[in-house]
Amino acid sequence: MFYDLNVPITTTTTSNSGSKKGKGKQPQASNSPQFTAAQLSAIDAHLDLLIHLGYTVICFNQTVNKKVDPKTHINVLNELLEKLKPRRGILFLKRLSVILDEDSEKGFGLINANTSYFNSYDILSLIPTNQATFALACLTHTLPSPLTTHIISIPLTLPRFPFHLKHTLIRTAIKNGAVFEINYVGALGGESDAALLEAGAAEANGSNAKRNWWAAAKELVRVTKGKGLIVSGGVVAQANLRAPRDVANLITLLELPQDAAHAACTSVPKSLILRAQTRKTYRAVFSEPTLVIPEGYSAPAPPITSTPTVASIPLPSSQQAVAIGGQKKRPREEDLVDSKQKQQNTSGTMSGQIGQGSDKKKKRKNNKE
Amino acid sequence: MVRFKNRWLLVEFLPIPSTPQSGAVAQTIQLNLDGRQIHSVLKQSILSNYGDIGWGAVALSLSVKYFSPTTNICIIRVGREQHKIVWGALTLLDGLEYMRLIPHVVHVSGTIKHVQLAAIAHNRTVIARYRAMANAPVAYQDSYDAYLESSNRDIESLED
Repeated sequence: MFYDLNVPITTTTTSNSGSKKGKGKQPQASNSPQFTAAQLSAIDAHLDLLIHLGYTVICFNQTVNKKVDPKTHINVLNELLEKLKPRRGILFLKRLSVILDEDSEKGFGLINANTSYFNSYDILSLIPTNQATFALACLTHTLPSPLTTHIISIPLTLPRFPFHLKHTLIRTAIKNGAVFEINYVGALGGESDAALLEAGAAEANGSNAKRNWWAAAKELVRVTKGKGLIVSGGVVAQANLRAPRDVANLITLLELPQDAAHAACTSVPKSLILRAQTRKTYRAVFSEPTLVIPEGYSAPAPPITSTPTVASIPLPSSQQAVAIGGQKKRPREEDLVDSKQKQQNTSGTMSGQIGQGSDKKKKRKNNKE
Repeated sequence: MVRFKNRWLLVEFLPIPSTPQSGAVAQTIQLNLDGRQIHSVLKQSILSNYGDIGWGAVALSLSVKYFSPTTNICIIRVGREQHKIVWGALTLLDGLEYMRLIPHVVHVSGTIKHVQLAAIAHNRTVIARYRAMANAPVAYQDSYDAYLESSNRDIESLED
């Protein structure tokens, strides 16, 4: 399973959305077609290549500059997904990126009132461009809530690295579950997303972009120590696409150890997508905790006045223990474990119970996987 | 025990024409490449990305062993210590003067045997894809069979 979590989509009406300037007088006509046929076929070709190179999970990314105004903003990805031809075995996701700069320090629309609007996106991400917004992104927006931005994407191709990456900020963000994103398009000197270029978050000149990218990406790897990193495309032109193993090899050149590089392409994005789904749950809890009564445990015998016959009940034989345990088994485990495993030793249920009782944030690994 | 260890890379080049077409069509574009051209393009890439030192590390053990124009497959042999350099330079390869390419490393192995097997398997999938696109009936004999046979022979005759 290889993940490309950043396939930038720009719409034809970017000029409209760019000229909001706080007046917001032009409501976007929601029935105007956002994608022309030529654009659709180009996107289809792009997807064909991605699938040929081995990516199975693809996330479309819509970038917004400065702030999100729910009145004028349209989730173009919903439309796009309807118009693409259906492909079996490929998972499509929707993502929103907000570019943060000084103007957005006061607020940029990611507030509780707008939560229902943001629910149409699977993943939210931020692109900070200065120290203050970076601190904001790392500290406040990674806390578990319906508005958590799980991906922090630092622009890597800018000439002067815009801000000092403070180790404590990054560590807090990673502890809260956010990840930092490396877009490999910069390594090739390819063209970046148009919205990023407009906002000054990416360098246009190919060879300069390359040099800045290598320096900045190496610094990012150093500060994060290889944890909490994902690699994604950000590729606009088809010619800059690369297969996932090639990309993993490129990342090892940034002095990231090989297993971490491979994890950055596979397991870290996988956990990220699962974690992003917890935006819909309360405070990032994954599963509904259920009460589990361990095998052989019996409620404390009723005091003193109990007759001997009653007292014999709390001592079941091992055979009965399995049966009782089987009845009290969590309904989940009955689906997961096939009958052969059910009859096996009780130690299986004990360890399963421990796994569930503890850290609720971690996903319970499906036995069958 | 100073045996010289190698890595064999199986690389597929996907051509990207300047006017975007759907991926399936693009694969039928023929590139006039040969082994020597690939070697020189790779050399340029290593020189510009890793400099003279990088090229020096790689030069003696690098050789392009096989190239097939029909399926755009290339087998490259590198020394084991330097194969990451060459792999990175391959990924950073932009293309030729007239056409942009996507280099896609399909398989990496330490012996020639597995690369041969991977190459033969890859050829079969590509030919199957071409045939599916042509929508020909199953028993239709086309030139691909002869191509498959000859390419299998070429691949298997590769020596260290």
